[in-house]
Amino acid sequence: MKKISLIIQREYLTRVKKKAFLLTTLLFPLLYMGLIFGTTYLGATSKQKLSVAIIDQSGYFPDSMLKQSNLRDSSILFTAVSDTFTPANFRKNGFDGYIILPEMEWQRGNKKIKFVTDKTHGLGTENIIENKLNLIWSETVNEKLGIGNDKKMILGSSSLAVKEENLENKNADSIVASTIGYASGFLIYFILLIYGSQVMMGVMEEKTNRIAEVVVSSVKPFQLMLGKIIGISLVALTQFLIWVACIFLVYFGGKMLGSGNAFASTMVEGIQHSFASVNLPLILFCFAFYFIGGFFFYSSLYAAIGSAINEDVREAQSLSFPITLLIIFSLVMMTVAIRDPNGPVAFWGSILPFTSPIVMMARLPFGVPGTVPVWQLALSMSLLIIGFLCTTWLAAKIYRTGILMYGKKASWKEMLKWAFRK
Amino acid sequence: MNILEVKHLKKYFATQKAVDDISLEIGTGSIVGLLGPNGAGKTTLLRMITGIFYPDSGEILYEGKKFDPETDTEKIGYMPEERGLYKKMKIGEQAVYLARLKGLSKSDATMRIKEWFERLEMQTWWNKKVEDLSKGMSQKLQFVITVLHNPGLIILDEPFSGLDPVNANLIKDEIFRLSKNGSTIIFSTHRMEQVEEICEHIILVNKGKKILDGKLADIKNDFKENIYSISAAALPDQVSSSLFAVEKHASEKLLVKLNPGISNNEVLQYLINQGVAIRSFHEVLPSLNDIFIRLVEGSPNARQFEQTR
Repeated sequence: MKKISLIIQREYLTRVKKKAFLLTTLLFPLLYMGLIFGTTYLGATSKQKLSVAIIDQSGYFPDSMLKQSNLRDSSILFTAVSDTFTPANFRKNGFDGYIILPEMEWQRGNKKIKFVTDKTHGLGTENIIENKLNLIWSETVNEKLGIGNDKKMILGSSSLAVKEENLENKNADSIVASTIGYASGFLIYFILLIYGSQVMMGVMEEKTNRIAEVVVSSVKPFQLMLGKIIGISLVALTQFLIWVACIFLVYFGGKMLGSGNAFASTMVEGIQHSFASVNLPLILFCFAFYFIGGFFFYSSLYAAIGSAINEDVREAQSLSFPITLLIIFSLVMMTVAIRDPNGPVAFWGSILPFTSPIVMMARLPFGVPGTVPVWQLALSMSLLIIGFLCTTWLAAKIYRTGILMYGKKASWKEMLKWAFRK
Repeated sequence: MNILEVKHLKKYFATQKAVDDISLEIGTGSIVGLLGPNGAGKTTLLRMITGIFYPDSGEILYEGKKFDPETDTEKIGYMPEERGLYKKMKIGEQAVYLARLKGLSKSDATMRIKEWFERLEMQTWWNKKVEDLSKGMSQKLQFVITVLHNPGLIILDEPFSGLDPVNANLIKDEIFRLSKNGSTIIFSTHRMEQVEEICEHIILVNKGKKILDGKLADIKNDFKENIYSISAAALPDQVSSSLFAVEKHASEKLLVKLNPGISNNEVLQYLINQGVAIRSFHEVLPSLNDIFIRLVEGSPNARQFEQTR
């Protein structure tokens, strides 16, 4: 035990002391935020602006109304053109397309209006044009039906809205739940991929440096492997705790700044609301559990692969590909599970240890025992424990042979042979 | 008293009988040379003795008790042929870490490392990294790390490869010093002149089997071929007799092989009668190199793969 703790210490300290650790700890959240805000920003600004010529033969779409609708939504600009306009020359006149509105009866409208253009635009474009034209059209229809302004107000505001209320969890909020689900699922995904490959590289380093033989003359290979995995998992945990601490810092800092600062108070409100709507201690506990369980499950496999490789990084990539694929597959299942947290994909994904660290974490914020019954959680947890005991045991056998085996080309077949040899 | 006893040790790999029924005894305090051509099974044997491999069958006794890797590895210092250190770790920290894995306390380890570094003039190395060292320097460091915990049994696999003569002598002196202080040393190599210089006892393995085991002097005696070297002021052009066969004939030197049953005196008598003015007459013992080559000859340079089961 004393030797394992020495190994853990070394693995932990050499990594945490590196500048790279500090850098990734600081930069990762920034990049993550940048990614989210960046894509939202790009999405907002890159909306295409189209200029569309309107040839109105019906008389229901006067220039004034078109201008008014342009003010409301400027992503597509309507311009009324006279009859002398030659539709075929729309490009020359600076338009992206044209619409001919033929004569029509106000009771029926027209379902066959064409937006003529020379490029295929996205689905959204059609919708926007339709909405804009329909808004103008409904004015006309209202007028014909004799509906006055007061009645129009009623038509606009009188509607029904539905919100889900879960009997098991009064505070449940499916938006907050999916956000937390996504965030924790992604976080575990990143940790598994990044730190899993760190385990693999670490084992490879020890093998190619030939330090492995020196160390295993003092400790058992299993102790060396376990020490490395635990050490690196602690590094990942440290990083995670720093991030959690930052969130709390923002929370309490915002509270201190108080209501005077609008930005701070909305931030505090947001966090408070999120905290209130989920069972935070349970989520944090489960996160730690699935994080550690998943990490042991996968990183021991990565360690086994690292031990089988001789210096060749390409070999490492091709051998670790099936493992990486499993992790990516978990992420795909997670997105399905968040859309339908009670469905069969969500159920099986959160039970089987290959995918449960990511999928179950995404499901949990929807509520225990509401969405995830206690028996499912218990089953998933025990299967994960059994799972990582199995992979660690298998990996240890591969590792023991691989770490001192040089020159032999590693393959899955060879590794399985090492694993199941007596 | 034997520090190490190995009984009928076997380790078969899929395509090779790496160690095939080897038994040996290592006396406490001796310096033993473990010899053998490449791929003879030396490293596999050493890995079993150091607890890295489990034997397929057989028994290892350390200090008369069954070898227990859990506790006994702390009493063994092993320097593998392929040297290895963490390249990016500071040398001082690394030495302390590896010493603590051998069961030393932190303060104890630090103290001993300082002592060793001082003796081998390595004090300035503490905060350097291994990647800054030359091959010879890291070799020296590896040696220090191997013997730091004052092990009863020190196993060195090719300890001088990559060292210049000055540093090789330095390490050689340290080996003698450790031996004088009571450590037993197993020294694996295929460099015969070093073995002749250092070892009292040698064990030769080939193809996974032990083929020779004994005191160096005894072995040389066993393998002598009754060859004598005679140097004289002037030698007749033609020397031939029924007493001996001439192996080599130079102007002032003669190498002869005595026929069976012939004594030295008879040869001398004969030469004196011939009027040869003898300057010296002495027996030529075979070098370890000759013995090695004679024993190993005929076995292919590289071991062929074979079916083991």
